[in-house]
Amino acid sequence: MSLAAPDRQQQPQRHVGAGTAVVLSYQVVLRQLTSRSRIIGLTLLALVAPISGFALGSADASLDDSVRLIASVGLGLVLPVVALVFAGAAIGDLRDDKTLVYLWLRPMDRWPIVVGAALAAGTLTAPITIIPIVAAAILTGAGNGIVGGTLLATIVGLVAYVAVFTLFGVWLKRFIVWGLAYILIWEGFIAQAGAGVARIALRKYTRSILVDRTGADLDLADFSLVMAVVVPIVVAAAALAVASWRLGSQDID
Amino acid sequence: MIAVNAVSKFFGSVVAVSDVSFGIGQGVTALLGPNGAGKSTLFRMLCGLTPPSRGSVDVLGANPRTDRDVRGRVSLVPQQDALFDHLSASEFLELAARTHGVADPEGAAHRALGFVELTDVGAKPVGQFSKGMRQRVKVAASLVNDPEVLILDEPLTGLDPVQRRHMIALFHRLGDEGRCVLVSSHVLDEVAKIGSRVLVIAQGRLVASGDYRDLRELMDYRAHRIRLGASDPRKLASALVDRGLVSGLSIDDRNVMVDTLDVDAFGRQVAALSVELGVRLTEVEPLDDDLESVFRYLVEGR
Repeated sequence: MSLAAPDRQQQPQRHVGAGTAVVLSYQVVLRQLTSRSRIIGLTLLALVAPISGFALGSADASLDDSVRLIASVGLGLVLPVVALVFAGAAIGDLRDDKTLVYLWLRPMDRWPIVVGAALAAGTLTAPITIIPIVAAAILTGAGNGIVGGTLLATIVGLVAYVAVFTLFGVWLKRFIVWGLAYILIWEGFIAQAGAGVARIALRKYTRSILVDRTGADLDLADFSLVMAVVVPIVVAAAALAVASWRLGSQDID
Repeated sequence: MIAVNAVSKFFGSVVAVSDVSFGIGQGVTALLGPNGAGKSTLFRMLCGLTPPSRGSVDVLGANPRTDRDVRGRVSLVPQQDALFDHLSASEFLELAARTHGVADPEGAAHRALGFVELTDVGAKPVGQFSKGMRQRVKVAASLVNDPEVLILDEPLTGLDPVQRRHMIALFHRLGDEGRCVLVSSHVLDEVAKIGSRVLVIAQGRLVASGDYRDLRELMDYRAHRIRLGASDPRKLASALVDRGLVSGLSIDDRNVMVDTLDVDAFGRQVAALSVELGVRLTEVEPLDDDLESVFRYLVEGR
């Protein structure tokens, strides 16, 4: 019995199309990322946002306080941390457990693997972040502007954080440590020092969206809505492009 | 089908592979070397998983690091025991087929499972498999794309003797079909069975290549050791020394162990000498014609 496939002689040279590769990468990564403990843990973290929103709403807090809560707890903590865990692990976990070879050593381009992985991370990040953060905005009772602004800021931030942390996962072995350092030290501390530094912190753009939609008084949030939406999306595209290049040029175990 | 030209690989100051050159065509070739010799690094370069620091690797006429399409014609069984544990064996193989762009992934997966005799457990998650079964799943996954070049890094690890025999027979069938099959092992006994065409690598260097029996013949500056079973070992030993056929010997109750630099002359004369002496020869066994001896000579220098 021959081991050759029955149609071997007729087979053209094979490669996997970009669309198919995105779908395959998405399916593999989504299943790898879907861990009950990870989802429960991150959901519990995300619940901090609506609980805080409820507490603030019960105390009849001002719009400024409500926006500050969404910006700090929702957009400054829950969103980036959840995105980091999923997006960093999207390719980082495959590389660490040495299963990346089953996607890498295939007749497919690199960028669909990265895009599929980022989409999978986004799929899991979205419900765990958007629902609680928007719920927090609703529970503050500060009006419709804050709900719409929170929704838009969360979506824009999600796209950017997922892409950037996917890059972290591709490039850095300790992507969680570097990601937390970025979130807590760079965005949470250094970027607060001044407007110049804040320009290279994603948080400034999501805060700007909130301020634009609510008119609240918030520091380091003075970009126009267009800039606050476009720049993070450009950053996301650039991050995915660099991640694709990096995936193709790095050593694989 | 594979051409490796003056390839070196450095990891910082560590030299993993040093100035290695060889070519391989159709059939089965064994890559032999101790753990840490550079076998896996060499295989990773052959698959494009890491680029050479110097030199070039050519697989099916292309650079496997940069040529997308050639990756569809090559398969690797990696050494590491890494699989998508939540997938069943069938699902894992179908995924492998889909990521290779195979037109009929279900059919390819089913055929591959049959080759490694895992059809009955195809629905079980590979996370529940024994090490040997996981090895077979990896081998099956490497077959779904009907590869022209098959690179297997320690594929017999964890297999029981029956499965080893089955797997070695499978490698030979693949080689007989015109594929280039390159199998690594650090177990000498395995390599002797896998194929007589051997590449020996040690400390990152290719120390020998060719038929391992020929390799031994090339080392004529070293004595061949032969055990002779004889009815009168002392009488035979004395005559061998007198004729100058041996460079050294030892005797026990039944055997003479001789070292000879001219194995052909020894072979021609020992039987006639025995007849002449009236000594019955019960055994003539070369003791260093096996792969272990070759390996010891080449790698360890003794």
